[in-house]
Amino acid sequence: MKWLLFAWKNVLRNRRRSLMALGITAVGTAAVLVGGGFAIFTYDTLREVSARDTGHVILAERNFFGGDEDLPMQNGLADSDALAQRLRGLPGVRAVLPRLQFSGLISNGDKSAVFIGNGVVPETDFRVRGVQTGFVEGEPFAAGTAVPEVAIGKELAKLMKAKVGSSLTLLATTTEGSLNAVDVIVRGVISVGAPEIDRRLVLTDVAAVQKLLLTDKVSTLSVYLKDTADTDAFAARLAAEHPQLALRTWFDLALFYQSVRALYDRIFGMLGAIMLVIVLFAMMNTLGMAVAERTREIGTLRAIGTQPAEIVRNFVLEGVAIGGAGALAGMAIALGVTVFLTFSGIQMPAPPGRSVGYPLLIHFDAGLYALTGLAVVAVSTFAAYLASAKAARKPITEALAHV
Amino acid sequence: MTPGTSSAPVVRFAAVTKNYRVGDTLVRALRGVNLEVRAGELIALTGPSGSGKSTLLNLCGLIDAPDEGAREIAGRPVNGCSEAQLTSMRREKIGFIFQNFNLVPVMSAYDNVEYPLLLLGTPAAERRARVQEALERVGLGGLAARLPDALSGGQRQRVAIARALVKSPALVIADEPTGNLDSTTAAQIIELLRELTHERGAAAVVATHDERMTQHCDRVVRLVDGAVQ
Repeated sequence: MKWLLFAWKNVLRNRRRSLMALGITAVGTAAVLVGGGFAIFTYDTLREVSARDTGHVILAERNFFGGDEDLPMQNGLADSDALAQRLRGLPGVRAVLPRLQFSGLISNGDKSAVFIGNGVVPETDFRVRGVQTGFVEGEPFAAGTAVPEVAIGKELAKLMKAKVGSSLTLLATTTEGSLNAVDVIVRGVISVGAPEIDRRLVLTDVAAVQKLLLTDKVSTLSVYLKDTADTDAFAARLAAEHPQLALRTWFDLALFYQSVRALYDRIFGMLGAIMLVIVLFAMMNTLGMAVAERTREIGTLRAIGTQPAEIVRNFVLEGVAIGGAGALAGMAIALGVTVFLTFSGIQMPAPPGRSVGYPLLIHFDAGLYALTGLAVVAVSTFAAYLASAKAARKPITEALAHV
Repeated sequence: MTPGTSSAPVVRFAAVTKNYRVGDTLVRALRGVNLEVRAGELIALTGPSGSGKSTLLNLCGLIDAPDEGAREIAGRPVNGCSEAQLTSMRREKIGFIFQNFNLVPVMSAYDNVEYPLLLLGTPAAERRARVQEALERVGLGGLAARLPDALSGGQRQRVAIARALVKSPALVIADEPTGNLDSTTAAQIIELLRELTHERGAAAVVATHDERMTQHCDRVVRLVDGAVQ
């Protein structure tokens, strides 16, 4: 405790210089925490978006993922109802949703366009996916209506000049290789925020799609868990229990999440590294000047029996004091920014390939704060060591003669 | 304790030589110096500038090493000791008093005097008692909380003496301890140093130009051109 007090008194010896180092450390710490907090917020948001879109664990027939089909649903999953029922009984499972992917032409009678469709169980699907359904017009469609109902992408609606209540025709190749068509009514217009997808997207009742394609199979079963963190363990269990099926997790299919994460990890990792180097230089400058000014004092302390390692320890404690205080100040700044952004409502512009922005929020992560604080203190310690190690071993007679 | 020839030597130098190289020139700072200083003895090292006083003082204080010759401090041969061992010996056996006081400016008088005891790991209660006693002995009992900047030159040197003697060293090294003091204060400091070294049985080696100082010493060792006269 005495040594720490001694170090603190030395920190206050040249207040302006110490304050400068502390300020640089605080700003560096805050920058890392704000940048890291933004990255974590983005990861968390994208993870939940991805998991809600695809389900946490996706089960399919063995050759479904990456396998070419000669005919639609050749690699479809048979007896999906029984399997879904079994999966719903497993602990941690929130919902099991069948999905049937199909494609074809959509027509308004005057013109046609290619669509990519998804057959879903509307009631359950919209409930589980919640806000992600993205209805910009109309409402979720119902299952089992006499004329099948659909929701179509915003851009596709424009292309087809369709509104809620419009009648369109879906044309697709059946599992037998022939063409089949069904008239549908537009019940909703949706946007997933990506114009490329909105130009092709059709959602409708899975039963209607099975009737159109002449099949009782589905493409996949999406298992939604209560907690995303359980995904890997649950997937491992399912893989062991159903070796005959192919299995993917939300992460495997979340290519956008993966690329954003890879990009942000590099950007914010580099930002963190640069900040730590700046802190290192600031601390080395401050402590290096302190060491130079106190060379004779170092000689005196060495003469009266202080070991070089104890001299270094004293400077390391000063580094820890400045670095620790700077880290705490930086954390306070980052917390202030986090709270401000939470209530400010500032929006980020739409990312490339997307049509809607998202709120600028900073995630508070205790682990990130602890890790950043430790890194700053470690860098300060290292800087103090570098600044003082040589002076502590300088010949005492030279140190005492230093002017 | 009074100095006596029967007590064991605290400092024993035998044929100690020290050379420096300044550019291409070899400076023979000490030439085969023999020296013994016994417990309780206060000796003055005198001589003109460049005679080797500071070099001999540094060698006595174990902050420099000779090129040749043998040294014993407090009965222990120091030739071949590692830097860590020499530091430990300085910590336990040697007190230093400098011309410019060399107090740590951010430490109070109390903290400066306490520092050597902290290095020795002295328990807190004993530290308090010994620091207080040392400060009172040098007449600064009421100024313990003051920083060096708030003390006069004489008071600072008293703090330095208390710092040197608080651990009851076997040897006190003083380099021109009155060099920066007025004559009245210098006389007080000389008397104090003499009293304390005798009282505590410490050997003291004082490098000085000050005639007043030499008068109070038990013995005067005069150096000329690196040799004892």
